[in-house]
Amino acid sequence: MGFGLLASKAMRPTSRLLNSANPSNLFLRTIVSKPELNKPEPSAATEPPPPDLPPRTPVAGARVHFTNPDDAIEVFVDGFPVKIPKGFTVLQACEVAGVDIPRFCYHSRLSIAGNCRMCLVEVEKSPKPVASCAMPALPGMKIKTDTPVAKKAREGVMEFLLMNHPLDCPICDQGGECDLQDQSMAFGADRGRFIETKRSVVDKNLGPLVKTVMTRCIQCTRCVRFASEVAGVQDLGILGRGSGEEIGTYVEKLMTSELSGNVIDICPVGALTSKPFAFKARNWELKGTETIDVTDAVGSNIRIDSRGPEVMRILPRLNEDINEEWISDKTRFCYDGLKRQRLNDPMIRDPDGRFKAVSWRDALAVVAEIAHGVKPDEIVGISGKLSDAESMIALKDFINRLGSNNVWGEGIGANTNADLRSGYIMNTSIAGLEKADVFLLVGTQPRVEAAMVNARIRKTVRASHAKVGYIGPDADFNYDHEHLGTGPETLLEIAEGRHPFSKLISDAKNPVIIVGGGIFERKDQDAIFAAVETIAKQGKVVRSDWNGLNVLLLHAAQAAALDLGLVPQSEKSLESAKFVYLVGADDIDLDKIPADAFVVYQGHHGDKSVYRANVILPAAAFSEKEGTYENTEGCTQQTLPAVPTVGDSRDDWKIIRALSEVAGVRLPYDTVGAVHARIKTVAPNLVHVDEREPATLPSSLRPTFTKNIDPTAFGIAVENFYMTDAITRASKIMAQCSATLLKK
Amino acid sequence: MTTVVKSIVSSIKEKGFGGFFRYLKDEGYLFVVEMHYKAVIYSSTVYWQTKIHNIGARLVGVDKFGNKYYEKLENIQHGRHRWVEYAEKSRYNASQVPAEWHGWLHHITDHTGDELLLLKPKRYGAEHKENLSGEGDQYIYHSKGHALNPGQRNWTRYQPWESKAEP
Repeated sequence: MGFGLLASKAMRPTSRLLNSANPSNLFLRTIVSKPELNKPEPSAATEPPPPDLPPRTPVAGARVHFTNPDDAIEVFVDGFPVKIPKGFTVLQACEVAGVDIPRFCYHSRLSIAGNCRMCLVEVEKSPKPVASCAMPALPGMKIKTDTPVAKKAREGVMEFLLMNHPLDCPICDQGGECDLQDQSMAFGADRGRFIETKRSVVDKNLGPLVKTVMTRCIQCTRCVRFASEVAGVQDLGILGRGSGEEIGTYVEKLMTSELSGNVIDICPVGALTSKPFAFKARNWELKGTETIDVTDAVGSNIRIDSRGPEVMRILPRLNEDINEEWISDKTRFCYDGLKRQRLNDPMIRDPDGRFKAVSWRDALAVVAEIAHGVKPDEIVGISGKLSDAESMIALKDFINRLGSNNVWGEGIGANTNADLRSGYIMNTSIAGLEKADVFLLVGTQPRVEAAMVNARIRKTVRASHAKVGYIGPDADFNYDHEHLGTGPETLLEIAEGRHPFSKLISDAKNPVIIVGGGIFERKDQDAIFAAVETIAKQGKVVRSDWNGLNVLLLHAAQAAALDLGLVPQSEKSLESAKFVYLVGADDIDLDKIPADAFVVYQGHHGDKSVYRANVILPAAAFSEKEGTYENTEGCTQQTLPAVPTVGDSRDDWKIIRALSEVAGVRLPYDTVGAVHARIKTVAPNLVHVDEREPATLPSSLRPTFTKNIDPTAFGIAVENFYMTDAITRASKIMAQCSATLLKK
Repeated sequence: MTTVVKSIVSSIKEKGFGGFFRYLKDEGYLFVVEMHYKAVIYSSTVYWQTKIHNIGARLVGVDKFGNKYYEKLENIQHGRHRWVEYAEKSRYNASQVPAEWHGWLHHITDHTGDELLLLKPKRYGAEHKENLSGEGDQYIYHSKGHALNPGQRNWTRYQPWESKAEP
């Protein structure tokens, strides 16, 4: 027996039960520890007004927005008066008053189910405790959240919930971030009385992303409501009644939504957890880094959870303007691509075609020598899908100093008009799409190109029954839409008013036109944009109070590249190049590069272009550097380094800066601050981080409407949702997804 | 000393010369004589002392390494009535006594090692290992990340791109 045990024996009265005054307590298994909870009585109707209440802060920054001041009502939460708009529920009123009500089924972005009963509160003059999430607040209501009735009710509900919940917290992946765990500590009893056999439920196979342990499910139905309301797939549902109730897919099938990973976050218990993350780490071991996502042009706000040098998982961050609190599966699960196929050493290709690792000094010297040996107009620089603004401005300055202006961003075709910012960003803003009542999608499939924008459109369609017209090849939509046609002819018909949809646009209050980023690679993009602008003019899409003319870009780097003017000057420059500098550009047509050209690939993954490269310079991925990205709506955001760089790799702009010095055309910036100062002279909006800079209203500078349109139908910009860039193509999970979910 | 001579004579009588010689060889006397001439004086002297001590003692048991455990209760100084004769003749040390015999040898228990062996858990009872400190670098424990650990764990958490000749 250790000293600690001895001491505690000496300190403690032998047993509280044996010493108690009432010996009949001895065999009573009480569940309630406080005597006042034994006989809960509704608190007295007339209560003396509490002397002075401490000022309370609303829960989680809950804010009240009064659309109409007359609609404000006053309720009392624990005697504390609070003004809320009409239509708020009791739970929302409590949140505004700074009282956090425990809940499982209630989620502010989903419909109200009211089936977990955890949010019971006492309301004066109500005979029973009421479920606060489903009860509308009425004027003068006296809500009591801290009374014995409310506490007893919560304790009872918690005991029932824990009745059939397995005791496997030590091996559960939700352990440490589990609502049930937390709330049973805060509101539950200290023991349960259930001694019968617990029920068990067969696990469901929801695909390669979501792991299910259905025995842990408490039937809050958040996942069912999320799937049908936000994700727009009717895959999940509830079967059976009472203790036979189960969440499932009715017939055995996988969950085929691009937002399916979000059910992991909304599940309050460990029933739905991340399959790739299963048993990998505990959440308290992880370091969270608040950064942004670069796998599409939305720029979803994410938190990268890392342990040591490894990215363990990616979670969404709340941003009402961009991704609300959801992220797409590609964003969430691409992280294992960051650990595979990484370039970690500068490499030079030998004459026999093999790569040999060399030092930075040697690699830069070779590149600089070759760059000086070619004519200036044979030098080409291309930035990739994942490049940050710093590396793009450095690339542009470097290539310009070498005497060439052939520098552009991937996915930007020749003659793209980058002069008018309103011509390539989402002018309505992502959150602004919710006000729209008619959508015209031109050559864009938002579901695969930008899943979060698609979720916003679906939200709008669900809320206001907005009409959606779509021009393009057959595509998947998870909301009602009208397929108007496949090619530019339909666009012309609408522009000339020959199509019934043009009347719909002109009748609409807030019409929205979304043009796909794939149009930038068409040769007739000017004509198509002219047609779109004609439609906009006729339908009054662009007004002083509403700008509904949008472009949905495809890559994280595209908006910043256009801001910085990385636009190809002529179509033929790549075919005549002798020196090609690729900064992470993997999706260019490698066959266009002449065989005798010297190709430098600077990037973080051995993807496609490295096989054509003569010199490889390893760079940092988005999780390892501080980089500025602009999303499709023109909001500038920054990534932050979550993990160290791999091997001998360096930041993109620093490599170009070092190379410029070796090449004798030294760039005039040494620090990030100086790079930002340089960016500010070109595109000031790129230094205003976390701000969306709206574009000024366009005056008609475009060539007027011509019929000079190529009649070929619009193409599909994103063939495979799960594999769009170097990181996602290196990811095993994404490969699994595209194999099982897309059957590719 | 008379007892020693007496017991030698009696065992020669019992076994004959050939038998006695074989007995000596099996028991390791000849080895020790040899070692004696090779001037490993200390250990062999202790060995001879043990052998002499053994005379008239009861062999209580032999463990799986071949160590022999003796006990003699009469005509002996108190506290010296249990002892071990190591199977290892030259490089022996106390850590060669397995756990089950340790208690008997040190008068912690009167149960012999053979009895205690029956209580050894089958599933997780580990094999006894002698302490090899000072026996060479290969026996030194290095943690899994230690540079001297031949099986040092690879802490690289990414998989580098390997250049193939052609895609």
